[in-house]
Amino acid sequence: MRGPGFVFWGLFAVCGLILLAYWAWMRWVERR
Amino acid sequence: MTTSMWVFMAYFAVVFAIGWYGLKATRDEADYWIAGGGLGWFSGGATLAATHTSAGTFVGTIGVMYTAGWSFGWVLLSIPLAYWFVAAVLAPRFTRVKELTLPAYLQTRYASKGVRGLAGLIVLVATVVYIQAQIVAGGLIANTVFGIPTTWGMVGFTAILLAYTVVGGMIAVVYTDAFQLVVMCLGALFALPLALRQVDGLAGLFTLVESAHPMVFSWGTLPAALLFTMGLSFFLGSIATPEKLIRLYAMKDMATIRRGVLLAIAVILLLNLIVFVLALAAIVLFPNLPTGDLAMPLVATAVLPPALGAVMLAAITAAMMSTVDSLLIVAGSALSVDIYQNLVHPEVTPARRLWIDRAGIAVVGTVPVLLLLSGIGEGELVQFIVLLFTALMAAAFVMPVVGGVLWRRATRAGAATSMVGGVLATFLWEVFGSADIEPVLPGFVVSAVLFVGVSLVTEPPPARALEPYFSDVPPTPTDGATP
Repeated sequence: MRGPGFVFWGLFAVCGLILLAYWAWMRWVERR
Repeated sequence: MTTSMWVFMAYFAVVFAIGWYGLKATRDEADYWIAGGGLGWFSGGATLAATHTSAGTFVGTIGVMYTAGWSFGWVLLSIPLAYWFVAAVLAPRFTRVKELTLPAYLQTRYASKGVRGLAGLIVLVATVVYIQAQIVAGGLIANTVFGIPTTWGMVGFTAILLAYTVVGGMIAVVYTDAFQLVVMCLGALFALPLALRQVDGLAGLFTLVESAHPMVFSWGTLPAALLFTMGLSFFLGSIATPEKLIRLYAMKDMATIRRGVLLAIAVILLLNLIVFVLALAAIVLFPNLPTGDLAMPLVATAVLPPALGAVMLAAITAAMMSTVDSLLIVAGSALSVDIYQNLVHPEVTPARRLWIDRAGIAVVGTVPVLLLLSGIGEGELVQFIVLLFTALMAAAFVMPVVGGVLWRRATRAGAATSMVGGVLATFLWEVFGSADIEPVLPGFVVSAVLFVGVSLVTEPPPARALEPYFSDVPPTPTDGATP
């Protein structure tokens, strides 16, 4: 059983990763 | 005058000033419906985020989290993925021809005035019901801030919304949206540290919330099927609701859309995460509420100091108003452009068009409040209607819009049957189906099956319908497809 902090910050981390991935995709499209 | 009243007066004054600017800046129909189609990434992204964030986010999300716990939070992830799909797959094809409305796109792609009229009708009916739900929330806020009866609050909010939307059109809506997004962010950012202080910080919050609601951080609070279909509802709703698609036409080009979408998803994620934490705090501070919908107004009035509480209530109001004004634009254009000027009276002179456009918004804005005053649709929960509206839009428009730009075999009959079948299936599931599955799933499946099946057994679409959206189709000499 993971602690509440893990579940709580997990969501924040995944949101951050999605934003980062989107930004990287955007740069990739514009350089292509 | 109390502090709250001053905050609200200042807020309305800014909104009216922007409405006046919209009037001065509007020269033609393209200005009125899509803000001229030349928005930059900041105004475009801000209006997308503000339109997405409704009273449902500030009031309804807390209500759901209050009962369902943190597992609901993961549903949020479907929103950025949906907007990413829009920016990467849908928008590059969808915006090849700039239209003024979503039904106008359907007319061009399916070479059919009838499909456009049908889509206009679906948009019109669904939007009126949705506006009703948001206006009820506005009436409750007016009752809290100004102490006036809820009915007068609903009439007052409608009058304010109509004043700047009718006068200033999409230009007024875009810039008031940007302003209202700032108000929303301020409200959420101020409330967060103050609410956390009440529960001894984050560590205290975790301990207290788990003792008040032991299942809060587990996956067992909602059936997995319900959680999945809620995510599907947010995903499909973010792709094909007309008030979001129209913003793709309003932005200048694809580079602008990609940046605008990045801004929108960053703000939507930030606002939702803050609201989630406030929801956890509300579980601790007010553990025995009869309905979770009361949590946010209570945080605003009981936890925050008066001036900040007023900013928080203004934030909820801003979320409501920035969604309703966009829906007024969509419903008004469906009535005056897609139904009246397309089917009833096509020979309108350009000079009269702008007046008919304004009359359309005035009518669609007045009907919801008249229905409410005559006692129709009063008792429905806000979030219930938000979810039903999203499901209806997803069932009606995802396949005709996305399928239309990706699949050249898609036909007019396929689009029409998919819209009607999807809407009917959504309604039937809402009334007779299981409550553990959101109606968006059966609605979308029926719409997809009809779209593909009927398209395959009917004649392939004419070249003039495909030429605008598929670059390898040669241009047709006759110009029959332009609206």
